Amino acid sequence: MDDEDTITRRRAILAGGATLGFGAGVAYLATRSPSTDSTYEPATIHEGSGASGLGIELSGRPIVGEPDAQVDLYYWTDYLCPFCARFEANTLAKIGRNYVDAGQVRIPFLLYPNIGEYSMPAAVWDRCVWEQVRGDDPNAYWNWHGEVFDVQRSSGDGWADDATFADVTERVADVSLSDVESCRETRGDAIRDQLDADASAAQSAGIRGTPGFVVYNRETDQAGRLVGAHPYDNFETAIDRVLAT
Amino acid sequence: MIGVDRRRLRRSAADLRAALVYPLTTDVRLFGAGLVTIGTYVLLVLSTYPQFTRQLLERDVTDVTYGVSVLTREVYLTRGWLGLALVVVYSLLTGVAVTNAVTLLRHRRRSGATSIAGILPGVLAAGCASCGAGVLGALGFVGAMAVLPYDGTLLRVGGIALLLVFLARAGDPRTCSIGAGGGTDRGASAE
Repeated sequence: MDDEDTITRRRAILAGGATLGFGAGVAYLATRSPSTDSTYEPATIHEGSGASGLGIELSGRPIVGEPDAQVDLYYWTDYLCPFCARFEANTLAKIGRNYVDAGQVRIPFLLYPNIGEYSMPAAVWDRCVWEQVRGDDPNAYWNWHGEVFDVQRSSGDGWADDATFADVTERVADVSLSDVESCRETRGDAIRDQLDADASAAQSAGIRGTPGFVVYNRETDQAGRLVGAHPYDNFETAIDRVLAT
Repeated sequence: MIGVDRRRLRRSAADLRAALVYPLTTDVRLFGAGLVTIGTYVLLVLSTYPQFTRQLLERDVTDVTYGVSVLTREVYLTRGWLGLALVVVYSLLTGVAVTNAVTLLRHRRRSGATSIAGILPGVLAAGCASCGAGVLGALGFVGAMAVLPYDGTLLRVGGIALLLVFLARAGDPRTCSIGAGGGTDRGASAE
């Protein structure tokens, strides 16, 4: 048997098969569509008031979930952040179905513009949309927010500009582009102050990137921190841990 | 003159082929090359977004498979098929190069010193070029790759070409290099 130090047909076939398998595996991971759950819509979105027990200012901020939910999951995001888009596509709906709809968790949507030049203007668009819809149709904010991340996911670099955000705003039902534009002109400075407060709260909580999360049990005062687009299981563990305290 | 160049080219092609198929000579080498290939791919893909990787692994190192899956998709979305193919090809070539380099080191033949000297700079240079975005990102130069031609793709292609050149120079690691001007002594191969 001449198997030592020679190229055998068996090894050649094995190597060829393994190389093909490796390439096919990478192609599969690259092209499999993320399990985007665009059908989820939270039952309640309300406007926050005052500072939370953790000292995070919630006045005027959108909060997904019941006002009296036991746990806060503070979520700092940036519309230019690709991993925020991944979190939105893969994990947010699952948290919504399992914890928000069960009344255990509420998610204050906070902004931490830090990725690119248009991060701050995008955040101003966000707050102007929220201010416009919060009274009559707060769920329109959810739809607008999801639509922006959908556009980010399907675009390359340089997608974020006034025209793209105007297009999204025009597309989403129950959001008036002219009202939002007028808010951007007249309320821009006040909103930027509010956004600075959001970013300062993130930094105080030790968040150095997006998406950033703090899980906080409002009854027992126990908190935990998560940074990055973690798999759902990590959120489940973090939420269950503070719920159990 | 042209005849000499053509002969040299043919010899380089034969050396490159000999280097590329060398891991097929034993099961252990084949398995080793496979492991290095997968390890290199994981390292390259995770280094494309070092901050995300750090956040993920700091919490739980078993999330590495999730990280590789997520970042493979991101590499495809940001660099397309070409960018992803470059990472795969580089990983495969590194698997071969490391297997060959290990043999060269073990045998410590007279030719070992020059061949190792020939192959290691290639591996390092190609490595830096191929995962450049990750390395530069980790060093804090996040925008550096963006200003390079074709967003760094050219640099990665160059890195892979460099790796191929160095593999061709080293040839079959079981052969003794006679000298810069001479050929190789195939008779020295272990039969």
